[in-house]
Amino acid sequence: MMIETLLAVTFVGAFATFLAPDRVAGKLAFLISLVPVALSLVMFGAFDGSGNALLEGTLAFESRAEWITVGEYTISWFVGLDGISLPLVVLTTILTTLAIVSSWTPIDERESQFYGLMLFIEANLIGVFVALDFFLWFIFWEAVLIPMYLLIGVWGGPRRKYAAIKFFVYTNVASLVMFGAFIALVFGLGDAVGSFALPEIADATLDGGPDGLFGLDGASLLSVVFVAMFLGFAVKVPIVPFHTWLPDAHVEAPTPASVLLAGVLLKMGTYALLRFNFTMFPSEVLAQFAIPIAAIAVISVIYGAMLALAQTDLKRIVAYSSVSSMGYVILGLIAYTQFGVGGATFQMVSHGLISGLMFMAVGVVYNATHTRMVTDISGLADRMPIAVGILIAGAFGYMGLPLMSGFAAEYFIFFGAFGSPSLPYAPLFTALAMFGIVVVAGYLLFALQRTVFGPYRLETDYEVGRAPIHDVAPMFVLLGLIVALGVAPELIFEMIRDAVTPVIENGGEL
Amino acid sequence: MESAFEFAPAIALFPLAAFVIALLFGRQLPKRGALVGIVATGASLVFSLWAALAVATVGSHREPLFEWAVGEPTSETGVEGIEFTFGILLDPLSTLMLVIVSLIALLVHVFSLGYMNAEGETGLPRYYAELGLFTFSMLAFVFADNLLMAFIFFELVGLCSYLLIGFWFRTESAPSAAKKAFLVTRFGDYFFLLGVVAIAATFGTLGFAGEGSFVEAAGEAIDAGESLFGVDPELWVTITGLLVLGGVIGKSAQFPLHTWLPDAMEGPTTVSALIHAATMVAAGVYLVARMFGYYALSPTALAVIAFVGAFTALFAATMGVVKDDIKQVLAYSTISQYGYMMLGLGVGGYVAGVFHLMNHAFFKALLFLGAGSVIVLAHHKQDMWEMGGLKSKAPVTYYTFLAGALALAGIIPFSGFWSKDEILYDALIVGIEQPVFLLAYAMALLAVFFTGFYTFRMVFLTFHGEPRSDAVRDPHPVGLSIKLPLVVLGVLAVVAGVANLAPVAKLTGLEITFLEGWLEGGIGEASYLAYSGAVFEGAEAVYATGVIGTESTTVLVAAGVSLLLAFSGAGAAWRLYGVPEPVRHTESLGGAYRLLRANYYQDEYQVWLASGFTLPLARAADRFDQGVIDGVVNGVSSVSLFGSGRLKRLQTGIVTNYAALLVLGFLALLVALGVHGGWFL
Repeated sequence: MMIETLLAVTFVGAFATFLAPDRVAGKLAFLISLVPVALSLVMFGAFDGSGNALLEGTLAFESRAEWITVGEYTISWFVGLDGISLPLVVLTTILTTLAIVSSWTPIDERESQFYGLMLFIEANLIGVFVALDFFLWFIFWEAVLIPMYLLIGVWGGPRRKYAAIKFFVYTNVASLVMFGAFIALVFGLGDAVGSFALPEIADATLDGGPDGLFGLDGASLLSVVFVAMFLGFAVKVPIVPFHTWLPDAHVEAPTPASVLLAGVLLKMGTYALLRFNFTMFPSEVLAQFAIPIAAIAVISVIYGAMLALAQTDLKRIVAYSSVSSMGYVILGLIAYTQFGVGGATFQMVSHGLISGLMFMAVGVVYNATHTRMVTDISGLADRMPIAVGILIAGAFGYMGLPLMSGFAAEYFIFFGAFGSPSLPYAPLFTALAMFGIVVVAGYLLFALQRTVFGPYRLETDYEVGRAPIHDVAPMFVLLGLIVALGVAPELIFEMIRDAVTPVIENGGEL
Repeated sequence: MESAFEFAPAIALFPLAAFVIALLFGRQLPKRGALVGIVATGASLVFSLWAALAVATVGSHREPLFEWAVGEPTSETGVEGIEFTFGILLDPLSTLMLVIVSLIALLVHVFSLGYMNAEGETGLPRYYAELGLFTFSMLAFVFADNLLMAFIFFELVGLCSYLLIGFWFRTESAPSAAKKAFLVTRFGDYFFLLGVVAIAATFGTLGFAGEGSFVEAAGEAIDAGESLFGVDPELWVTITGLLVLGGVIGKSAQFPLHTWLPDAMEGPTTVSALIHAATMVAAGVYLVARMFGYYALSPTALAVIAFVGAFTALFAATMGVVKDDIKQVLAYSTISQYGYMMLGLGVGGYVAGVFHLMNHAFFKALLFLGAGSVIVLAHHKQDMWEMGGLKSKAPVTYYTFLAGALALAGIIPFSGFWSKDEILYDALIVGIEQPVFLLAYAMALLAVFFTGFYTFRMVFLTFHGEPRSDAVRDPHPVGLSIKLPLVVLGVLAVVAGVANLAPVAKLTGLEITFLEGWLEGGIGEASYLAYSGAVFEGAEAVYATGVIGTESTTVLVAAGVSLLLAFSGAGAAWRLYGVPEPVRHTESLGGAYRLLRANYYQDEYQVWLASGFTLPLARAADRFDQGVIDGVVNGVSSVSLFGSGRLKRLQTGIVTNYAALLVLGFLALLVALGVHGGWFL
């Protein structure tokens, strides 16, 4: 019942916040959001699962009840956690609370709706990570879009309408592709499955596979479904060339929404890729697409970093660098080794923290200066030393500075990818993707040099003073977590490793 | 004595504590955190000496401290599990380096009291905090027992130099120099990390020494002749070794990644002293020494090290000849001197390379702190043409600086002579058998002349002749905290050579090569070729060596030639600049002068690579992204929604429409499902 409690508290909290007066909404949402944080931490402490949720692992906090029966298929309320999903749930709860606190300064209209939506999005995000029935999962998956659409469309910047619609339509179309493909797979499996429970479908797909559908034989159907689902998730991640919604959404989104968008929403895509494409499909299917996927990963890393280099808007820089960072995740997944897939999962958490920190830091800069353009600001370190200090720390985290979580994630991925037995030319792909660590240092240091160092100069008419404590405190929390995971990655890598090992073993040698 | 090993982690943790304290409470502390730093580095020095003593009595010690991450590797050699750990390796090499680093750090802290605190500087807590973090990172790097831990702290060293070079962040130049330092060294570290990953993926271990080290595994793989990653094992060792060397070339400012170092003079002079003598730049060469057993498996990799070093030694020395800024001269001398160390290690002269690393730490710290003292004396002037005549006005600074200069120039009997001579001798005896190395020897030998010249050009311009500006006619006084470190280092620069009087030992047969004896007590894996071509792993030497006539004549010839060149260089400087009113002679070199002043246009092409090539490429990618990729996306959406008119109508729908759409779509799918499942039949 832990998971149900967690979801219920968050949903009820969201409605309570909707109804609360604007003046108290921010504080109320913060207090409410502490409950999911506490619950998720309790679950983290009491976690007793082992193995992979889809591959006959022991689920923690499992609960399952039949819900609807459609024809011969059963849809159930089926939730549970394994070593992959639990860290993401904890990430979600913590990041939401911090994002709520970081909203106190910039959000000054329709507060109760804003904070209500923040909690609503949190509830659905948790749902995405805990759901183990496809329909249940898909409901949460789609329901995340609505609050995010509103957060961008109502509280966003000047081009918010365009950005919100682009975000919504693009990712929704992708979801439909994915949905259709998955349903085709289920139908193709025929009598082997009688429900939409993901473990059952995974088992059937891996053991025997589909018979065929619409004139396609089983093997072809698997390949088609794999590609369609990959493309569907690729938009969400996003992977080049499906990434163009992301910078627009980030630039227009209010900072706290950006924090959640980069911190958690992007991980929905990579999480789903891991859960579906890289867990359910036999290794022969993966092997077919190993080289193109690795190539896409490398392109995402380098091309994303090059785009970031060309930007002068701080938010766009961080947005494009997310594309780059997600490329590492794809590389780790396709490496299909313990460290590769484990590192990819670790990177989901790590990037969630670091990108969250970076967006918050940029937000604090924006709150003070009302500009995000690199060309408008100089020497900010003189006026807001603490906030700038955190910005610098976050930037180095993004660059993969050792003893911060980003390094651990990237190191695991590189190590896992370099020796991958299944990916042809693995050392070459690794070497190419790794060059991202040089480019990322280039654009972030360049941006730092221009904005926070040098003589103080500001092109907008604002007095810059020290940032208020509630702007800075969430960033300290994130920084602490980033350093903690960098110094002791085993804090979560242990359970991640446990959950990804069956994935590799199940696929076996390609 | 073993208890020294238990306390060994504290060697690095003291400065870390100083970092935290100075960062949090620096404003309230007396001297803004300086005293905390002095106490911490002093404690590190004491514990380092204690650890060295323990190594001397009990032997080397290796101990894992902390498990960073574990898992199953996919290693080529079929190792079952891999552990990435933090651990300490205390052996003669690491304890020697710990002592050097903590000593230099301590003296730099003391010097900072007079140099930074006296100037009404703001941001002192930040300065001392960063200094503490810097020392911590370097010390942890030095006692790291595996390559990943070494990489981790190697990177942190890079971060700290970024922060300290950019200490005066309100200027335009310091942040730019800091960025350049980090970026250039990061480029090198890219190769280093790739090397770390490759070695881990190949051998399933990253330990430097002892049971299950990658050095041992590589040796076994070569003996077994099994191919690694589809190539010959020795070639693979060469490739991975050279990848790691990328990091060394970046940090130790070897050609072609040396360009960051002269710019790094934007940092406070104390920081330059620390970076050049004991931390950042020393880290690279130390890593080669640490991994020497690995490089020794690959003569090709060693040869590359030797030639990079020899070329850099000469290349940088020539640039030092035309610089006017006292810190710039020292910067190029650093690049050049680290080239010597690389040459020494590359020709198998492990002891010689480490010996020079030690001597250089003392005399370069001395020269930089001396330059700092000169800068104080000259009221923050750094141009040597505005100095002169400081000899009589600041005798302590002068005589200590002179001791450092004599050591740098390699004049007998100052410390630099002994180690540089040993390197040259090793290069020569290897070159006699493999003539290709004679080219490296020749380059290094030629560099001796230039070193003598630029060193004494600097000494004469700064201290001799008539004062050439008002600033030095009435010098600012310097206090005890400045003089004391100078004296300590001055003494060391004079006498440190006694540690390994190899030529004397050879000529007289006395057992006075103490450093060689010390380093031979190593943990085993890091066996090495010593001065006269000792053995690797009890087997054959890395290189065959020869002599001219007898060993004694070879020793005398090698020492004689290098001394002659050093004296000629110094003498030429004396002739040209040792006069009351020196003039700019180097300008008469014409085209060569312009080439040298422009640093062989190395900066130009690297800046072009960054801002003339990469940046336009990035902008082109951005235009492509906005125009083509996003254009297609927008095109598709406007086509599918029948133009923008429909899009606008969608916008008016607010969210309820979307929610409705979603629900409708969902219902439609359910119906489809139901039809398929025969629900309605």
